[in-house]
Amino acid sequence: MTVKVEKIEGGIPHNTIMVAGLIASVVLVYLTYANVLTGTQYFAFFGGLATVAALVWGSHTIKHLCSYGIGTGVPSAGMMAFGSGVIAMLFATKYGIAAPIVAVILAAVVGAILGYVANNVLNMKIPVMIVSLVEMAVIGALVLMGYAAMMSGSFELSALTTGSVSILGLSLPSYQASFLGGALIATAFMLGGIAIQHPFNACLGPSWTQDRMLYLAAECGFLSMIAAAIMSMPLISMGAALVSLFVAVIGWYYTYAKYIELSKRDAFSWLDSKPIPEVEGQ
Amino acid sequence: MESIVFGIGITALAGALATVAGAAENTESDIGSQGDPNSQVQLAPQMGYLHRIFNKAIAGEPPAWGLWIALGAGIAWAFMAMQVNPILAIVLGAALATFVQGVYATTAYLGRTASLAKFGQPVFVDVLKSMTTVTMAHAFVAIFATVTVCHLMNAALGHPFPLPLLGLVWGIALGAAGSATGNPFYGKERQYQNQKYGAGVPIAASGNIVRYAEAGERNSLDNGWFSARLGGPASGVCFGLIVFLELWRTVLFEHIAAGWGAIIIGIIIILVFMVIDRYIEVWARKNYGPYGKPAEEASS
Repeated sequence: MTVKVEKIEGGIPHNTIMVAGLIASVVLVYLTYANVLTGTQYFAFFGGLATVAALVWGSHTIKHLCSYGIGTGVPSAGMMAFGSGVIAMLFATKYGIAAPIVAVILAAVVGAILGYVANNVLNMKIPVMIVSLVEMAVIGALVLMGYAAMMSGSFELSALTTGSVSILGLSLPSYQASFLGGALIATAFMLGGIAIQHPFNACLGPSWTQDRMLYLAAECGFLSMIAAAIMSMPLISMGAALVSLFVAVIGWYYTYAKYIELSKRDAFSWLDSKPIPEVEGQ
Repeated sequence: MESIVFGIGITALAGALATVAGAAENTESDIGSQGDPNSQVQLAPQMGYLHRIFNKAIAGEPPAWGLWIALGAGIAWAFMAMQVNPILAIVLGAALATFVQGVYATTAYLGRTASLAKFGQPVFVDVLKSMTTVTMAHAFVAIFATVTVCHLMNAALGHPFPLPLLGLVWGIALGAAGSATGNPFYGKERQYQNQKYGAGVPIAASGNIVRYAEAGERNSLDNGWFSARLGGPASGVCFGLIVFLELWRTVLFEHIAAGWGAIIIGIIIILVFMVIDRYIEVWARKNYGPYGKPAEEASS
């Protein structure tokens, strides 16, 4: 039995963030399909933006779940999200254009089963557990699908398992040089898994503020997107990878500057090379 | 025979690199107060003990290092797939992963400290500037060494896993080794030098970490200096042994009984270490065990 120890006061309600995050990330993943329609790869960066939207939503879900006094469970919640999401995401890529929708539905089922086990079998008895784990699994699946679409240009299994190696100027298809064959999915897993838990883990405390945490979530998302853009270079055309990198750097710089500004606003004081201030009664 | 000699050479090189990585990893995490010592650094301002210690809370060490190494390996993989020379690729991968680590470190310190505004803990910008760069330097050494170990396994020993997956596995192992071996030197000893030796941490002393140094106020570089002497090398030996013994048993015994030889040797190694650990534990408890009554005063 756990008691709700902190509550979210003011700010944007969780349901609004959830609906906005879900719609934005699904739509943005679908926008990468423009690659197939136009025959280019320049729209791959929408996959990265989808991950940012899902991560912002995810950081707030973790806040929502962890307000029931799960202090040390914050980083593990991120791993949980991606561990359950990766199953749904990989299975859904078989379904072609329907993949993002299938991933959302499947992830919700996986999350519901895990939530049931956590609440009723392991007896955690946390009221928002099932809903939160459903959300987390959906987020995990969408973020991984976003990285897959961003790094390989498409969210279909055939694109994720075939890359090309150029040997002496000849371009040969290769499983080894693909998103799955090169295990870039392992890096994508960790990029998302740390980015989703870091905002709440870093901002927890009595003076937590919602806007600061959400800006940090976007910052972590764009930072991961920078790394993903560089890793996409051998898989998609260099031009498309540079577009992704450009978008990611701009987004990261803006959110990082904004986050520092908000930290300055919320901090007790902002000192440079000063001793520890005297506290009354010591 | 030649391939076994070559394999043993690679094993020795990987073990040496892993030792360097472990030492750098532990010093990095102790300067950042990452892992379990973090709870006291986080608690101190709430108990009224404001401090100038760096509070770099990025998950636990194993997941965080899982990311840094997997990222370094992933980017190195990408550059190698673009036909870049492996050493340059690993340097670029480690540099970019270090950049990500540095950004995470700054956001963690700012976030945690700003959320403690209620207790009057200020953000020290000089702490942020001087400590982040030092942790980044240590992180670069650890990431470069570990990604090189992974590349040696993959390219020289023919490990079937791709580089990023090896990076994830060994990154988590590196974080776990540093967290388990090196942290007690900082969290159980350095933070509580003002308590009676071996007394543990009584509830009343929670958050009362050492905040003043020999001269002036203690910062995390002093903690890095302290733990680099014993905690770092201990973590290095731990991770180095893990990598060395793992590769050694595979290289030498893989061909016996269709791979089962390596597994049996692995189990024997675990049993040998259990015996050693038990012996050390009993020996330490006998010699430094819980405080009994003082037997007799030596003089007077």
